[in-house]
Amino acid sequence: MILLILTYIAVIVFLYFNIRYGYKIASAPVHLRWELYPVPHEKGRAQYGGSILEEVDWWTKPREKDKIAELKVMIPEILFLKAIWEHNRPLWLGSFAFHWGLYILIGNMFLLILSTILGFFGFSINAEQGLIASIIFYLIKWLPIIGSVIGIIGGIRLFMQRIVDTDLRLYSSASHYFNIILITLIYITALLWAVTDKNFVNNSISFYSALFTFGNISSLPLVAYIHIYTTLFFMIYLPFTHMTHFFSKYFTYHKVKWEDEPNLPKSKIAQKVSEYLNYPVTWAAPHIGSDGRKNWIAIASTFPGKENQNEN
Amino acid sequence: MRTNIIKITDISKPGQLTEIDLQELAPLPPPYDDYRNLPGFKKLPKATMENLSDSPDGVLATGLSRPASKEEEERLINLFISGLKKLFTKENNWTFLQPLILSMEHCAKCQTCNEECPIYEESGHNEVYRPTYRAEILRRLYFKYVKPTNPLMRKFMQGDIEVNWELISKLFELSYRCTLCRRCAMSCPIGVDNGLITHELRKIFSSEMGLAPKELHEKGTVQQLIVGSSTGMNPEVVKDNMEFIDEDISERVGFKVETKWDVEGAEVLLIHNAGEILAWPDNPAAFAILLDAAGITWTMSSELVGYDGVNYGLFYDDVQLARIAMKHLEIAKKLKVKKIVMGECGHESKALGVIADRIFEGAVPRETAMTLIEDIVFNRGIKFDPSKNDFPVTLHDPCNITRAMGVIEPQRRVLRYIAPKFREMTPHGVNNYCCGGGSGFAIMSGHNFLDWRMHISGRRKFRQILEAFKDEPPGKEVPKYVCAPCSNCKGQIRDLIDFYGAKEKSGLYYGGLVELVVNAMVDIKDKFIDFDMM
Repeated sequence: MILLILTYIAVIVFLYFNIRYGYKIASAPVHLRWELYPVPHEKGRAQYGGSILEEVDWWTKPREKDKIAELKVMIPEILFLKAIWEHNRPLWLGSFAFHWGLYILIGNMFLLILSTILGFFGFSINAEQGLIASIIFYLIKWLPIIGSVIGIIGGIRLFMQRIVDTDLRLYSSASHYFNIILITLIYITALLWAVTDKNFVNNSISFYSALFTFGNISSLPLVAYIHIYTTLFFMIYLPFTHMTHFFSKYFTYHKVKWEDEPNLPKSKIAQKVSEYLNYPVTWAAPHIGSDGRKNWIAIASTFPGKENQNEN
Repeated sequence: MRTNIIKITDISKPGQLTEIDLQELAPLPPPYDDYRNLPGFKKLPKATMENLSDSPDGVLATGLSRPASKEEEERLINLFISGLKKLFTKENNWTFLQPLILSMEHCAKCQTCNEECPIYEESGHNEVYRPTYRAEILRRLYFKYVKPTNPLMRKFMQGDIEVNWELISKLFELSYRCTLCRRCAMSCPIGVDNGLITHELRKIFSSEMGLAPKELHEKGTVQQLIVGSSTGMNPEVVKDNMEFIDEDISERVGFKVETKWDVEGAEVLLIHNAGEILAWPDNPAAFAILLDAAGITWTMSSELVGYDGVNYGLFYDDVQLARIAMKHLEIAKKLKVKKIVMGECGHESKALGVIADRIFEGAVPRETAMTLIEDIVFNRGIKFDPSKNDFPVTLHDPCNITRAMGVIEPQRRVLRYIAPKFREMTPHGVNNYCCGGGSGFAIMSGHNFLDWRMHISGRRKFRQILEAFKDEPPGKEVPKYVCAPCSNCKGQIRDLIDFYGAKEKSGLYYGGLVELVVNAMVDIKDKFIDFDMM
C-alpha cells in the first residue's frame, strides 16, 4: 500500500511541477525576436540558412512555412543527439547510450501500461497466448535488459568522462555525478530484476495493474522494490533539475531559435507587446531616467541626458 | 595534463586569472606564423591595473575604477544584486526573459559549444574565454539570488559563488570578451545561448549600474541621441559632409551625384551607419549612384538620429536600443516613406530588421541593403561589365545579417555575377566566423583592447581571409578584395589589415558590396575602386 501511495505521489509531483514549469515558460512575455538561422521551416531556404528576409519587399510575399522540415531536424536531434555527434563527438557515445537506455525503459513502461489495459479486457500477456501477446511478452522481458545494458554503458562512460575530462569536471557540480549515478542505478536494478526474476513480466504487469485498480501488489523480489523506489525518487527529483530539458527543448527551439514571426499591426503579438510597453521600468542607472512609475513607452520616448543638455 | 586550471569560483579571488601569451595562440599561416615578427601584446602599466578593474586576463576593455572605500564596494555589490534580480522580472526585461530563463536552467555542462567559439579556440583554449565560463557564473548567481533554495541544496545542484568586487569587476570585463556571434548557440543540443547570456550580463552593468564601455555608451548611444550620430556629426555637419562627398564623386564619375534629403513619400529611406560617411565615403556615394541609376526615389533624413543607423543599444542596453529604434520609426513615419533600407551595416540591419520588429508593429517595412542591391543589379536594366572587377574577391558574412536574419544568398548572387574571381571563405553563410569586432568591439580600442581584438577575437577571421586567397600569389602584387557589407566588420578588417601589415605583405584590401557593384557599372568610365588610392 505504501508503495502504491508513493507511486501516486511521485506521478503527481512529476506532472504537477513539470506542467507548472512548462506553464511558467509558455506564459512568459513574448520576447524580442532572437531567431538563429538556419530556421528549418523556411521553405526552400533552410538548407543554406536563408529566410524570407532575402526577398525584396518581403512583407508583400507569401510566407511559406514547412513544418515537416522542423520534424526532420527535431527527430534526428531527439533520437540520435545529432548536435553532440556533430560538435562533441567524444561525448556522443555515452550520451547516446545513456539517453537510449531511458527511451527503451520508457517505451517498455508504455508497453506495460498497454498490457495492463489489455488485461482488463481479458487479453492476458504471456508467451503462449498467440503471436501478439507473445511479441509483447518478449518485448517486456527483453527491452529492460537491452535498455539497461545500453544505459549502464552510457552511464559508466559519462561518469568516467565527467571525472577524467578536465573541461567537464570543472563545470560539474555534485548533482551531475549524482544524476548519472541515480539513473545508472535505475538501469542496474532494472537489469537485475529482469534477469533474476522468473516472473518478471507478470510481476511488472501486476504492479501496473495494482496501480490502476488500487489493488494489492504481489510480492516482488527485493531488487524490484529497489528499482521502483529509485525510479519514484527520480520522478520526484527530476522537475527540480536541468533534466527538464526533455520538454523545455521545445521552447528553446520553437519559441526562441526558430521563432521568426513578424509583428504585424493588430496581431496577437502586437497586442501583447503594447501591454508590455506599459510595464513600469525600475532599472536604476541614471541614463534610464526611471522614477519607478514610468513605463517603457515613457522611458523610450525621452532621454534624460538630452533634457539635461537642453537645460544647460 | 592541464596546468592552468581556473575554476568558476576563482572569479571572486583577487588578481588576474590568466595572462595572454602569444606563443599559446593558434598559429597563423605564413608570413604571419612567427609571433616574434608580429606586433606584441601591450601590457598595462602596474598603476593602471591597480587603479582600474580587476582584469581577468590583463586586458581592459572598460576600465572600471576600483571602489575607494568599503562602503563604495558594498554599494556596488548591492547594485549588482538588485540588477541581477531585475533582469529576471518581466517588467524590466520582458524583452528577453523567456530565452534567458531557458538558458539559465537547462545547460547540461556538456561543453559542446566550446569548439564553436573562435575566441576560445584561437586563444589556445584559455579558460576565461570558454563560452560557458561567464555563463556559468551568471547561472550560479541566478540560483543564489533570483531562485534561492537551501544553501546546501544549491551547492549540491549548482555549486557556489561569492559576490564581491573582484567578481563584479572581472565579470564586467568578461562580458566584453564575447562578440555575441552566437555560433555557440547553434551547436547547443539543448538550445542554450551563451551569447544571449553575455548580452544580458551587459544589461545588468549598464541598465542598473550605469557601467558600459564609453565607446558604446557616452560616445555611442548617448552622443547619438543628443547630437544625432555616434560619430559626433550633427545634422548640419552630416549634410556638409555628404555635399562634399557628392561633389568629389561627381567629379570622379563625370556626372552629377546628389544625395537626397528629407524627401516626403520616397520609396526608400536609406539609413547608413554614419561611420560610412566619415570613414568610407565611397560607400554612401555608391548607393547614391546605384539608386539613381535604378530610378528609385530615395532619401536620407537630416533629422537627429535619422541619418545614423547605428544602434549600439543592441549590444548592451535595451532601453537605449528602444530609444534609437523609436527615433528611426518616428522619422520614417514622418517622411511617409514606403520602406526603410538599412545600409551596409550588420547590427543596424539586425536592430531595425528583426530585434525592433516587435516594437515597430509593422508600421514601416524594413529590408537590408543586400536585397535591394540584388534587385537593382538584376531587375533595373543597369548594364554591368563584370570584367572590371577582375581581381580576387572574397565575402565576409556579417553575423547579424546571416545568422541573425537569414540573409545569405542575395549578396552571393550579386558577387557571382559581378565579381568573376569571387571565392567563398570556409566556413561561410550561417556558419561564418565573426570578424572579431562584433558586439561593438570594432570601435573599442582603449587600454590594450585593440591588441586583444587583433590577436585573439579577430584571429580566426584573419586566418580565414588568408586561406580564401591561398590559390593567389601571396604577395602584394595581386590586390585581393575582402567584401564586408557591414560598417563594423569593415572597421575590424581595416584594423586587422593595418595591424598585421597585410596590405604590404599579402595585398589585402577591403570594402563594401555596393562599391564593387558600382565599379562594374558600364556607365562608370573610370575605376570606382582604385587600389592605388586605398
